[in-house]
Amino acid sequence: MIVASAGNALVWIVWLAAAGACIGSGIAVISFRNPFFSALALIGNLASLAVLYLLLSAEFVAAAQVLVYGGAVMVMFLFVIAYIGPQQESPWAGGPTWQSFAAVVAAGALFVEILVVIGMKAGGELGHAAPIGSSFGSPAEIGRLFLTDDLLAFEITSIVLLVAAVGGVILGAHARRQPWGSADAEAPHFDALRPGKTDART
Amino acid sequence: MIAGAWICLLSPLAAAVLITLGGTRTSRHTAAYLSTLSCFVAFAGAIASFVGLLGEEPSQRHHLSTAWIWIQGGSYRSGLSVLVDPLSVMMMLIVSGVGALIIAYSIGYMDGDDEERRYFAYMSLFVFSMLLLVQGGNLILLLAGWGMVGLSSYLLIGFWHHRPAAIAAAKKAFVMNAIGDATMALAFFLVIQKTGTLSFSALGQLHGGWVVNLVALGLLGGAVAKSAQLPLQTWLPDAMEGPTPVSALIHAATMVTAGVYLIVRTHAAFELAPTVQDVAAGIGGATLLLAGLVALVQTDIKRVIAYSTMSQIGYMFVGVGVGAYGSGMFHLMTHAFFKALLFMSAGIVIHALAAEQDIRKMGGLRRLMPRTFWAFLIGALALAGIFPFAGFFSKDPIIAAAVAKGGGLGYVLAAAGLIGAFLTGLYIFRLLILVFLGEPSPFVREHFHALERNLVGVSMSVTVAVLAVLSVVGGWIQWTPYYDPVDKWLAPVAPPLVTPTHWQEWVFTALSLALALVGIGTAWLVYGAHRIAVPKLPFVQRTLEHKFWFDELYDVAFARPVAALAVWLRDRFEQPLVSGVGKVGDDTREVGGLFARLQTGLLRTYALAIASSVAILAIVFVAVR
Amino acid sequence: MLGPDLAWYLAVAAFLFCTGALGVLLRRNPLIVLLSLEIMLNGANLALIGYSRHLANGDGQIFALAVMAIAASEVVVGLGLVVALNRRQAPLDVDRLDTLRG
Repeated sequence: MIVASAGNALVWIVWLAAAGACIGSGIAVISFRNPFFSALALIGNLASLAVLYLLLSAEFVAAAQVLVYGGAVMVMFLFVIAYIGPQQESPWAGGPTWQSFAAVVAAGALFVEILVVIGMKAGGELGHAAPIGSSFGSPAEIGRLFLTDDLLAFEITSIVLLVAAVGGVILGAHARRQPWGSADAEAPHFDALRPGKTDART
Repeated sequence: MIAGAWICLLSPLAAAVLITLGGTRTSRHTAAYLSTLSCFVAFAGAIASFVGLLGEEPSQRHHLSTAWIWIQGGSYRSGLSVLVDPLSVMMMLIVSGVGALIIAYSIGYMDGDDEERRYFAYMSLFVFSMLLLVQGGNLILLLAGWGMVGLSSYLLIGFWHHRPAAIAAAKKAFVMNAIGDATMALAFFLVIQKTGTLSFSALGQLHGGWVVNLVALGLLGGAVAKSAQLPLQTWLPDAMEGPTPVSALIHAATMVTAGVYLIVRTHAAFELAPTVQDVAAGIGGATLLLAGLVALVQTDIKRVIAYSTMSQIGYMFVGVGVGAYGSGMFHLMTHAFFKALLFMSAGIVIHALAAEQDIRKMGGLRRLMPRTFWAFLIGALALAGIFPFAGFFSKDPIIAAAVAKGGGLGYVLAAAGLIGAFLTGLYIFRLLILVFLGEPSPFVREHFHALERNLVGVSMSVTVAVLAVLSVVGGWIQWTPYYDPVDKWLAPVAPPLVTPTHWQEWVFTALSLALALVGIGTAWLVYGAHRIAVPKLPFVQRTLEHKFWFDELYDVAFARPVAALAVWLRDRFEQPLVSGVGKVGDDTREVGGLFARLQTGLLRTYALAIASSVAILAIVFVAVR
Repeated sequence: MLGPDLAWYLAVAAFLFCTGALGVLLRRNPLIVLLSLEIMLNGANLALIGYSRHLANGDGQIFALAVMAIAASEVVVGLGLVVALNRRQAPLDVDRLDTLRG
């Protein structure tokens, strides 16, 4: 059907654009030196993900993504970045080169493995999506699930949010301790565990 | 009667347990009174048993009361049983009676000591152990009591544990006692093997040559160790490091006489092994001479009395060695009275002179403490065997019995006994004169303080007075030529092997009395009137002062080799082993240090570790599937 | 389903996840690390939503919402840490925060 193929083509175009933006912004997040730009890139990432969710008929989740992630979490990030302000830039990356090399290898290996495993296990079925009703992904459906089948998850999530809020408050309380790097704040180093010395502390 | 015997046995144990459990919550006086009361209760129980036995026919006087079966192994059985018979009741009366008086004396003597409660707990424990020893219905319980009196002795000799001399003396006493315990245990093994039981009657069934000789030797070894006879006598003088009431109770009146009791109780075995019995008598005779000689040169007031104890127990060994069990036990009884009296009077002297025990610093105390002087004089006269004091009636029949036994050994023993009588008079009056007579020495003038009329004074003087009375009248219950109720009392348990004739009794009584008077006179001439000087025989003097070199001999023969062996073992085996174990600890620490390097504290390292592990595990899972 | 199959969505999700992992492993600024963590979580979310559509099961979306909430909590705590570090004049460099070394 032309409509079907036109609709399909439209979806494909939108998908390609959103996926491209997603991947691009993802790479951008980890590449920028300035955390401000990384945060902005992440906002773009979240937005393109919302588009992808819409394509997957998850309307409520898409809306929540924009509101919660984009509206709350990223704003918080930007607040903190602004609060911290300009500072001595830490190196982009550093440490032993073998570590960086191993990191890239590990990440790449993970990517390949995920694709391979999915291909092996579910290769044939990925083409055939199950039919859905019109209320799939709607707020009503989500609400119904939250309050009946997945009530426990709902409650536990609430508690975790509460705990995080309390933790945030505590962490943000006035600092009482000595500044970093002063003698009192140093933790004791146990020289005793180096061979050749006896433990005089215990 | 049986109930009385159980009360007698368990009352001191209850006191010991209560004092121990009470700890510092009870006051010191509570502990003292509790201990004293328990001993008097025990004495009452003993009296009850005695009266009960009196009302029975002599042949009926044997009651074995078993609480429950204690040990059962194969065909062997032992019960927790208490034996009430004439011999055990006699010992019960002596132990609990004299013990009660001495513990009452300790209320005053130990007043103000930091650890009074511990002292009284130990004293009650000792009384219980000694009663267990004498009341035990079979050889196992006798051995249990035997070991426990050794323990109590160790605890009480080393009571003032911050004094190294006391600790060393306690160890020495315990080790030498342990030698005796070992020989006794070996003897008991033989008895079990031959007869299958450890009841007293089993000893009479040990017919046949070498077994019964070994058993008797083992028993004799135990008796010799406990009673401080040759060759295991060196611990007794050192044991004077303990408090004076301890010396009075344990090392004069009761524990050291346990050896004599043992021989009388197991006389069946000794009679089947006459050679060993002769050896016992011979040991007694040698000891009484050696101790008497050494006592002549001692300068510590308690050590003189200790050697006197050793000597008198030698007399008892002679008595039971020749078979005069009644005389031996009678002498045990009177000796308990006057020896405790002597020790307790000496204790009053020591207390008055602020713990000074060297008689060379004393002198002239008679005018400062007249009543103590009289008590000491009564004790000395009783010890020397002067009519009508207690020792006269009990010591001389032993000499007569030795003569009645006859044979070379009998006459030698009698001669030794007579010489011993001379020596006894000499050393005890030497002590009396040096301490009490003459002018007060400068030391005395400076340090003397009399007993006040408070609890301390009353407890010490009343008990000494009671013992003084007993030392006078205690011997009057038996005078063998005329009336011998003690011998008759003990006859069902241990019938005597010899009976001296009246002629023998009279002659040797007279000889012994005369020699004692000569000894007293000599002491007066040498030390009192200074008419005769002490003979200057340097070699003899040195030998006596070194107690016939026994300590040096044992040191070279036993102590040094064992110490050298211990050092060698430590260096060759223990040290490498311990440092080897220490190396294990060091190696573990090193390995731990290696692992600690994993904790870099860096976030990225940990994250990398997680990521790579996931990657690798994914491959593994896929490959496995 | 119109448009690409689930496989394409899963590929994007995997890429996002691994990109985020790379950011966590490589970058030294804790803020960037937190942002990379967000990317990883979003990748997981995308996979969840994709499968939810594929299996016509709403639980996947519920899961994704829960993940979102958890991510928010984690960001709160993480940013609190960063602010606390900043207050104590600590270097905002993951490699220099090694007090737990030992």
